[in-house]
Amino acid sequence: MTERIRFGPALPEAYRHLAAAQRAMEKAAADAGLDPRLIELVKIRASQLNGCTYCVYVHSRDARELGESERRLYLLAAWREAPDYTEQERAALVLAEAMTKLSQTQEVPDGVYQEATKVLTEPQYVAVAWAVTVINAFNRLGVTSHTPLPAEAE
Amino acid sequence: MSTRIGIGAVLPDLQKQQVALSASARKAVAGAGLDPLLLELVKNRVSQLNGCAFCLDMHVREARRLGETERRVYLLSAWREAPDFSEQERAALALAEAMTNLSQTQDVPDDVYDEATRVFTEEQFAVLAWAITIMNGFNRLNVTSRTPVPDPK
Repeated sequence: MTERIRFGPALPEAYRHLAAAQRAMEKAAADAGLDPRLIELVKIRASQLNGCTYCVYVHSRDARELGESERRLYLLAAWREAPDYTEQERAALVLAEAMTKLSQTQEVPDGVYQEATKVLTEPQYVAVAWAVTVINAFNRLGVTSHTPLPAEAE
Repeated sequence: MSTRIGIGAVLPDLQKQQVALSASARKAVAGAGLDPLLLELVKNRVSQLNGCAFCLDMHVREARRLGETERRVYLLSAWREAPDFSEQERAALALAEAMTNLSQTQDVPDDVYDEATRVFTEEQFAVLAWAITIMNGFNRLNVTSRTPVPDPK
């Protein structure tokens, strides 16, 4: 794969704000009582849909460090048919997919919104929605710049 | 249309970062010598693809305020066949579409990248890609929140 222009060094101030948004999102998720592994699942699923190799790798590694199982990570791409995910995780994954596929559907359907807000509290729902938004931004930067895998992954 | 939780308003800390992110990109637009009209075209095309009426309304009004023509605004959704857009604008719109349609393609193709980096400087290309990324963020927040379009005055 050919090398491309990197976006972090090109606009360091923008990158700082995006990184700060990520930290604020993670704090909001923890404050809302969400398991950090749920947020990692959301990040990985969005990154799978958007094809961001770097993001899939880094967040799979982070999830494993948080105690996530190998099985739940490799079943994630087909999570609907797998019995391994909680009701909360399923609601978060449905929301993550709808928000990530916006350019295919131009909406987040009422069914998705209702399911997510039924199972997640308002602070939890909002934290997940921000998690999806922020990882979609990292995915766009990562894919467009062909961000290489970290050295440890070679 | 039923109302929904406003994702931005519930977490002001995050909203602040998103707005600051957007402000740093806006500052960079002028620094890189990019035409603000080109940026508005890109933001409007991204909002069309993602179906964000609130964002479309805001940025069409901003484009018109900056001198954009009515004709180019309505031809934007079919820009490939329209003679109205410059080489730079076409490269920027192709990049915007590729980056926005990522969940359909999992890729920003080499020809899109090559054309964009041919007609833009490296700095302009980076600013443009950031602007597309940020607009995609606002689209996600506003579509999911069903942010209402303000009443026409």
